[in-house]
Amino acid sequence: MLSDSNSLKPNYVRRGFLDALILVIPAIPFALVFGLAVRESGIAIWLGWSSSPIMFSGAAQITLITLLGEGASVAAAATAALVVGARHLFYSFSMAPVMQHQPSWFRWFAPYMLVDQVFALCVGKQDLPAADFRRYYLAAGMTFWVFWMTFTALGLFVGPVLPAGLDITFATPVLFMGLLVTTIDGWQKAVVAVFAMVVTFLLADMPSRSGLLVAALAGLILGLVLERFRR
Amino acid sequence: MIIFLTIFMMGLGSYAMRAVFILLLSNRRFPPSALKALEYVGPAVMAALVMTMLLSPEGGNAPGVNEWAGLGTAAVVALVTRNHIYVLTLAMAVYWGVGYLV
Repeated sequence: MLSDSNSLKPNYVRRGFLDALILVIPAIPFALVFGLAVRESGIAIWLGWSSSPIMFSGAAQITLITLLGEGASVAAAATAALVVGARHLFYSFSMAPVMQHQPSWFRWFAPYMLVDQVFALCVGKQDLPAADFRRYYLAAGMTFWVFWMTFTALGLFVGPVLPAGLDITFATPVLFMGLLVTTIDGWQKAVVAVFAMVVTFLLADMPSRSGLLVAALAGLILGLVLERFRR
Repeated sequence: MIIFLTIFMMGLGSYAMRAVFILLLSNRRFPPSALKALEYVGPAVMAALVMTMLLSPEGGNAPGVNEWAGLGTAAVVALVTRNHIYVLTLAMAVYWGVGYLV
């Protein structure tokens, strides 16, 4: 019977939705902290939130809004946020082969949803038939999109509910510290991270927070130098 | 207006970084040295950002004991659990606790 043969086929829309749902939970703090960062920055809340649909890029959004709120120049904040998002170049590169089998509307639309979690889920699904891959990708991406829009909006209203006197702004560096640690998988990267922190500290008086760009660049160069000593 | 324009340009930038290879690349190869460099961007810029957020906007003053304790906790919890919910709750608890004590 027709319905039988249908029910044997795995449903990739459902699977993409459920897989994304699991990854939503650890991302909740980022969404809420983004809302707090918008409040703290003094930028109009819906203007700040508009970066969710426009950028759809958690850490880069938090970076941009936080630095703007701290009085960084637009150029410094934007550059820092772009550098934070630079890992997406790697995602794009990794996804390019599987996208060659997709229709062009999808190749134009898919990058908008290529966030960390969608990349993590879909990079292992490259052997699926093109149509199933597309269903899975869209289901995961849209699930994550709806989550991010909703929870970054909720985050706008979490701050005022918390008891006064609790300094919640420290949540942003805490979460970024967590992100930092998860990107370190060798002593070279640990050395680079400590070095970049020290340089940032020493350059704290540079105008409009541009010291962080110098420090990030210095760290990157040190990393490449250390890489040479590896073998 | 300038803020909205910035966000809008950043949106274009985010999209461009995610789209560039998907739209342009078919069989060209990425230089391995560039891939290596990309790996170090994360640790370098994240570390610089954490420190920037600790320093006050006026510049200068060093982070306090409670801030170091909170960050240390965040680093250890992230290393052990890799779970950002634990990172956030435990590090904030330590940060507030130490801040209350000193």
